[in-house]
Amino acid sequence: MWKSNKILLLFFLLPLVGKGQKCTISIHGRALDEITKAPLPFANIYLENGKIGVIADEEGYFAFDNLCADTTHIRISHVSCEPLRVFLAYKNDTVLTLFLHHHEELMDEILVHGKSTDQSIQNSGTLDKDVINQRSDQNLADAISEISGVSVLHTGAGISKPVIHGLYGNRIGLLNNGVAQAGQQWGNDHAPEIDVFSADHISVIKGVSSLAYAGNSLGGLVLIEPGEIGNDPHIHGTTNYIYETNGKGHTANLSLEKGGDSKSMRVTGTLKNTGDRNTPDYFLNNTGKIEENASLQLELDKNKTWNKSFYFSSFNATIGILRGAHIGNLTDLAQSFEREIPFFTEEEFSREIEAPKQRVNHQLLKVSLRRKSGQQIIDADYSIQLNDRKEFDVRRSGRSDTPALSLRQLSQQANLRFQKSFVNGSFLQSGLTGNFTDNTNQPETGILPLIPDYNQFDESAFIIFQKEEDKLLYEIGGRLNLSQLNVVTITRELPREIERFSHQFTNTSVSAGLKYNLNSAITLNANLGYVQRPPAINELYSFGLHQGVSSIEIGNNQLLKENSLKSTLSTDFKLKDKLFMQALFYTQFINDYIYLQPNPVPDLTIRGAFPVFEYNQTNARLLGLDALLSYEPIEKIRYIGKLSLLKGDDLSNGLPLVYMPSNNIQNDFSYSFSDFGVFNNTQVSMQWKTFFEQKNYVEGQDFVAPPPTYSLLSASVHTAINLHKNALHFSVKIDNLMDTAYRDYLNRQRYFSDELGRNISFRVNWEF
Amino acid sequence: MKKLLLLLPVIAFFSCEKEDPVIPNEEELITTLVYTLTPDGGGDPVTFSFTDLDGDGGNAPVVVTEVLASNTTYSGELSLLNESVSPAEDISDEVSEESLEHQFFYSFTGADLSVTYNDSDANGNPIGLKTKVITGNASNGQITITLKHEPDKSASGVSDGQIANAGGETDIEVTFNVEIQ
Repeated sequence: MWKSNKILLLFFLLPLVGKGQKCTISIHGRALDEITKAPLPFANIYLENGKIGVIADEEGYFAFDNLCADTTHIRISHVSCEPLRVFLAYKNDTVLTLFLHHHEELMDEILVHGKSTDQSIQNSGTLDKDVINQRSDQNLADAISEISGVSVLHTGAGISKPVIHGLYGNRIGLLNNGVAQAGQQWGNDHAPEIDVFSADHISVIKGVSSLAYAGNSLGGLVLIEPGEIGNDPHIHGTTNYIYETNGKGHTANLSLEKGGDSKSMRVTGTLKNTGDRNTPDYFLNNTGKIEENASLQLELDKNKTWNKSFYFSSFNATIGILRGAHIGNLTDLAQSFEREIPFFTEEEFSREIEAPKQRVNHQLLKVSLRRKSGQQIIDADYSIQLNDRKEFDVRRSGRSDTPALSLRQLSQQANLRFQKSFVNGSFLQSGLTGNFTDNTNQPETGILPLIPDYNQFDESAFIIFQKEEDKLLYEIGGRLNLSQLNVVTITRELPREIERFSHQFTNTSVSAGLKYNLNSAITLNANLGYVQRPPAINELYSFGLHQGVSSIEIGNNQLLKENSLKSTLSTDFKLKDKLFMQALFYTQFINDYIYLQPNPVPDLTIRGAFPVFEYNQTNARLLGLDALLSYEPIEKIRYIGKLSLLKGDDLSNGLPLVYMPSNNIQNDFSYSFSDFGVFNNTQVSMQWKTFFEQKNYVEGQDFVAPPPTYSLLSASVHTAINLHKNALHFSVKIDNLMDTAYRDYLNRQRYFSDELGRNISFRVNWEF
Repeated sequence: MKKLLLLLPVIAFFSCEKEDPVIPNEEELITTLVYTLTPDGGGDPVTFSFTDLDGDGGNAPVVVTEVLASNTTYSGELSLLNESVSPAEDISDEVSEESLEHQFFYSFTGADLSVTYNDSDANGNPIGLKTKVITGNASNGQITITLKHEPDKSASGVSDGQIANAGGETDIEVTFNVEIQ
């Protein structure tokens, strides 16, 4: 199973001629850092079949001689790297190169895939399987927030959405195993219905456009990749158990896989159960969460011309919403602001999840075919997704058990993609995508729906051309999308009547980029992209009160497309494998940026006055910087610093944009111990994060001004015990070590309550 | 390539015309609040009403007020209706059935009057569907009637009609101009 932790590039460089003599085979090899390609001196290499181990020399070279033809697992470990375990069948003398992940913070999408066909000039960041295992108790958005430039929009502790370079929701694309996630992504309190544990790696594309992918990508893209199953014919697996003190949360997951050329299979499953979370001072009542997820991946005929694969995933969650955040009108909201402790706060911990709550079920089924011949790959796939979302409010006369919002969405996608590499270093890919979404309100609610029934048909075509010349890699591409939206609304006036609307949008996106390796130390990268995004259903047609936010949102069906022009300029600098620096500057101009504009006159209803927000358009500009510095003064000590700056402005009205992530800085220190006894890969680390107050704000833009600057300290310790054929990992992590009471600008419940207090999580991971 | 095209799954895209949605039965909606004040000494009742038949948004609500007599004791009775359905539904019944979870609050400014509760739930705490109103001298002002769902009736001052510590969420909040002659 370790091999799936680390993407292995295994090169049989010299399959030397063997005459079938017994026990004279040699395996020679070298251990290298995957990112920097620097040798890993004194790495430990162990052959499980013969129980023999050697230590590499200063240059990372190692050798085993006088072996008999056999199959084995090779285990390789190095101080401050996660160990690697690979399957090898050897009949002849073999030379191999083993790559270990040594700098997880520097990983990007290209390095994870390690294939030229997946090369992209777009800036990206990646989490690998180790990090995913460690964070498998978290939501997708929280797990990827380690990547610089990514922030999180929360609704309380249980619901989170990723924010990439200041944009989220309709502007972010999520691709689960290549399928554009279809759900109710428009809602700020609708978390992506994806289990992080089902992924082998997760990448965030922060670049200017993502032409090759379906879905909205004006603001970036999250790729959740289950990864390929290796060729190891034995059943391997990993199981995790995490206990969190805050919320007394249990997370258990299991992944099993069996590789092979004709058939390989992987199953994963996750169970989560958390009760009421707590701030440093009080419980957050009704913030429990239950999740039950599973996935199945099947790959057939991997070595034949036609590869077939099958993927199914199921995500099922019940999420409690802080009871004190469920309020009536503006008067209630004003009262909540004045309270230190939210209404309904109780002294007792509870696992009960009552209204207000959400129940979400999401199923995905994908079948794909791949034809490889020479330098040419053709992919065809079809997927179907069923998303069921029910939101329950506190209602009279036992109606709390009847959802106040109940939506069912059925979405189908088909993709056809063609890729070809040419001998002169150029690479061409193009594709066609069709997407049909059918969204229906279930009439059980007894409430006029917030979002009307609709269906949407999308067709797209894209082409990307890439060429590598010496030190230069450049790329140019375009995407054309036709979108048809048919909406059926119910009038707000009496008598209630049905009205039909339809919209057509033609969206074009073009981008160009180049990457230049100035010398071995410096790489420069520049991208420019123009992307159009049609208005989404909520922007056009939402009408009514939305849970958790005491305001009436009114859509505007006259909205135009958004037009974005984004440019990025980045540089990577490295010095002797000790110091790495990355800086990414970006500017994004969005013409006809769609936003919620507060209406000066509140709406008077029988429940009192409600603020009214209407969707409107303006011209916006986002300016930002993501910087990363990684320094290793000696092999065992590492410092990683990250800085994210962002300023978003409404240029037409001369106002700041609201809900832009505040500037933040993060410092990580880690110390790796040498292996002692059975203990391997022992590491202690500390993290210090500061989120600055959002100063780019004008009084009155939000109900409450942005909260002040806060800093959080966290610490963790990890060790592993390597047994003969398996390994046990233990770790303890303390978040918010100082039990700081704070509120975060990007949490929609900051009006009501503090953020979580100290949380200690204990994790045991068994790999076998 | 031909083989591939054959293998491409046929997408059964349904008809692009979406079916008519079922118009939900908005049984929970409160469209109308009527506050009827009957003089204890006899005479014509005085009514205050707030009516918003189409719910949130749409047409503005209709507010009707009448004049109160000075130095008079009235018996007040609140009635909540959902007039969007036919026949109209009496929501006051839902409130009295769940009286432990509901309480009305009456707050006023300017006008010289007092409001006291004249009903109670199973725990002896007020509900506020029935009230006693005593007017003072001629004056003008406003009265705000609030219905809280799931208030903390045991919190300080709540059973005396003070809303500050009640919590819960507001199901009704209407304000009437009051004239005492």
